[in-house]
Amino acid sequence: MTVRLTRKYGFAASHRLHSPALSDEENRRTYGKCDNPHGHGHNYEVELTVAGVVDAVTGRAANLEALDALARRVILEPFHHRNLNEEVAAFRTEVPTTENLTVEVERRVRAGWTEEIGARLEKIRIRETDRNICELSV
Amino acid sequence: MLISKKIEFAASHICRSAQLSDAENERVYGAAANPLGHGHNYVVEVAIEGEPDRVTGMILDLKQLKDILEERVMDVYDHRLLNREVTPFDKVVPTVENIAIDIWNRIEGHIPGARLYSVRVHETNELCVEYRGEK
Repeated sequence: MTVRLTRKYGFAASHRLHSPALSDEENRRTYGKCDNPHGHGHNYEVELTVAGVVDAVTGRAANLEALDALARRVILEPFHHRNLNEEVAAFRTEVPTTENLTVEVERRVRAGWTEEIGARLEKIRIRETDRNICELSV
Repeated sequence: MLISKKIEFAASHICRSAQLSDAENERVYGAAANPLGHGHNYVVEVAIEGEPDRVTGMILDLKQLKDILEERVMDVYDHRLLNREVTPFDKVVPTVENIAIDIWNRIEGHIPGARLYSVRVHETNELCVEYRGEK
């Protein structure tokens, strides 16, 4: 039987939403307070949803230890207590909006995926604040 | 259209399989393999699929759904040791995956006039499973 299992992780990071392709006025209009040149931060929550068949012996649909190890390696270690614009290569060129962050996390999770997890990645959700959530189906 | 109802129960469980060695149980389930057991406040969301009735404007009578969940889930699961007191957990490990499947099996076919769409079980704030009846 196939179930969808969702595991939640958290990291705290800072960012600034500012595009070099836009004028200062356009940046202010597009990003508002998030364009503050000094940056600001969030407690991000990342939800990884995997689809897997429940093993008859263990009753588990995925190897949570392997999934947690992947999340630590590709999301938490590179992002926790970091300045996303300065310390994550992708955000030297892309604006670290929740949308772009979700795409970047999906890219990293897919690249680092291992057989050992024993399930298929189905969805990624990132909660920047309680009112701002981005979801990507894989 | 989907409508969801949420219930919460508290229960204890032991995640160990008789078919695995002690070392394998520790590796697969970690701290949850403690033979003395531990517990959670489980949150269950049951989603029902249907169309609103032209007269009542409702997909189904939520009081009726509440009674079904009380009788078929709460009375069975709340304040129990799942391994000892709830079938099928004398035979299968009460992981959150198997709990979602069991709750589906207990309520499917008992909701008049609407189709059961999914059962979601949150074991902790960090771990949730959804089952939609796929065999």
